[in-house]
Amino acid sequence: MAATATSTEHGTSIGGQRLREALVGYSFIAIPMFVYGLLFLFPIAYAIYISRYNWGILGKIEPDPIGLDNYREAFHDERFGIAIKNGLKFTISFTIFTMALGLFVAVVVNNAIRWRGFFRSAFYFPAISGSAAITAIAIYILSVDGLFNRITGLHHAWFGESGTALWAIVGLNSWTTSGTVMLFYLAYLQAIPTDVYEAAAIDGAGAWRTFWKVTFPLLKPGHFFVSTLLVIGGLKMFDQAFIASGGNGGPNNATLVPVLYLYRVAFYDARYGFAAAVGLVLMLLMLTLTLVQRLLFGRGEAA
Amino acid sequence: MPDERVPTEKDLVPPAEAPLVPPSPPAIEQFAMAGEAAAGTITGIPGRTRVERIRTVVVYTLLFGIALVYFVPCLWTLSTSLKTLPETAYFKLLPEHPTLDAYKDAFTTFDFSRYAANSAGLALTVAALNVFLCSLGGYAFARLKFPGREVLFFVVLATLMVPDQLRLVPVYRIYSDHGLLDHYHGYVLIKLAAAAQLFLMRQYFLTIPKDLEEAAKLDGAGYFKTFWKVMLPLAGPAIAAVAILEFEGTWNDFFWPLVIFRSPSHYTLPVGIFSFVSEHRTLWPQLTAGSVIAIAPVAAIYIFFQRYFVAGVASAGVKG
Repeated sequence: MAATATSTEHGTSIGGQRLREALVGYSFIAIPMFVYGLLFLFPIAYAIYISRYNWGILGKIEPDPIGLDNYREAFHDERFGIAIKNGLKFTISFTIFTMALGLFVAVVVNNAIRWRGFFRSAFYFPAISGSAAITAIAIYILSVDGLFNRITGLHHAWFGESGTALWAIVGLNSWTTSGTVMLFYLAYLQAIPTDVYEAAAIDGAGAWRTFWKVTFPLLKPGHFFVSTLLVIGGLKMFDQAFIASGGNGGPNNATLVPVLYLYRVAFYDARYGFAAAVGLVLMLLMLTLTLVQRLLFGRGEAA
Repeated sequence: MPDERVPTEKDLVPPAEAPLVPPSPPAIEQFAMAGEAAAGTITGIPGRTRVERIRTVVVYTLLFGIALVYFVPCLWTLSTSLKTLPETAYFKLLPEHPTLDAYKDAFTTFDFSRYAANSAGLALTVAALNVFLCSLGGYAFARLKFPGREVLFFVVLATLMVPDQLRLVPVYRIYSDHGLLDHYHGYVLIKLAAAAQLFLMRQYFLTIPKDLEEAAKLDGAGYFKTFWKVMLPLAGPAIAAVAILEFEGTWNDFFWPLVIFRSPSHYTLPVGIFSFVSEHRTLWPQLTAGSVIAIAPVAAIYIFFQRYFVAGVASAGVKG
């Protein structure tokens, strides 16, 4: 009898301690989980829900769901088409330029040079500057009387003309993001074992050939990681286009990128149901592109 | 896809011609040069040093070239912010009579003091709350056992995949329904406990050996006391990274302040800069002064705490 009594007592105390630990655990994560529930999980459900309605400032404009009409409209909307086209044009060129620039700088900085730390920090500097401030600076430097035109002898309003506005943003963002990409590539470069280079040298490969035949292929996980990051970042680009165009995606829709389009549909037209549908389409587009990339480059090693 | 004006980016940044120059990591170069020298000339050693010297010249030329491209816009901005408006009409590198008038103007006439105060207040609040909530949550996920821990942690990681534009409309509707728009605490709520930082803290706590906690437990310390007195003091580097990254992220954030704050008295620096650009686009000295005001604090933090920025970038590479 006595033995059973002590063992139950022992059992409850362990159970009690477990319960206590669990309760403490839940209380420690309660606030973050509440925020994630309220501002991440619930919004997804809410977006799906209102995307099926004609939803305005005061809620449902028509009481009945309109089914997939918002999605159908999105696919036929001319401006959404322009926004997607601009988004892809921007994303592709931004990704290529930034990777090339970041890799180039990383390879140069990876040399055994003096002030290596200084150069590394210097090239990362534009990346820490806020998008608004850096875009304001770009507006100044690329204005008609700006530094860029003075140096090149041109006379062109880079943000003011529809032919160049988006390219100006490509240049700006490649410049600011290349520092981050450089840091990633530096990490991947340093992970390449030196004996690979020794083998290449024994085979008599020159520097140029070694880079393309040895270094570049060995950086494949790096290419995958960096390009995934840049493609998603490129599709999400908003700040620079919004600030440079004064919020309207101009001139002549040249900088109307997907998120800017979404923002305008929501806050200028107050069509929340339609905007929610557009947001969901964009998210699906992003996930699809990430998956395609994973299939192209992934092959397990990078994922 | 490019039209005839594409040379733009090429001149703005060097990428277009950059990759054409043979890049040269030390190991490749060294061994390649040794190989070439051995194969090419009989006098291997002098040839090698000559090639080495050329290589050094090329590398340093490239470095300073790149550094110039990276720095000139910043220096030009700084210089313009010290000029007067008439002076900006001339192409002079340095201001003839450097003056702080543009800063005075920005702070008083254009309300940048208000924007800066808002930015600083929000950034500090968000950083402090993230440090506390993410370390507490990270500790729970790393050390405490509770049913559903793995599932909940998966939820944390899943939120990293949700893009802000999908949340934009629902979050805005929730905010307008509950009177959170145009309030500082509405903004703080959105940034309260970043999933990326919670993840970072958890990973850091996992690397700390358990012995010290065991000792604290034997001394009868409770969970919170163990966390507060034992674990937190050991997590210095991770805490610094979280604080700095959240401060920087909030200070530079443009998207959510733009969505949430309506009245100019609530604007943060990035939104203030946007509104300035929209209204007084060509007041260059004031505009550049405003940009310097927005960049300087983060730049100062960067100079002193560089390695934490790099730690943050590296942790972004650690995937769940």
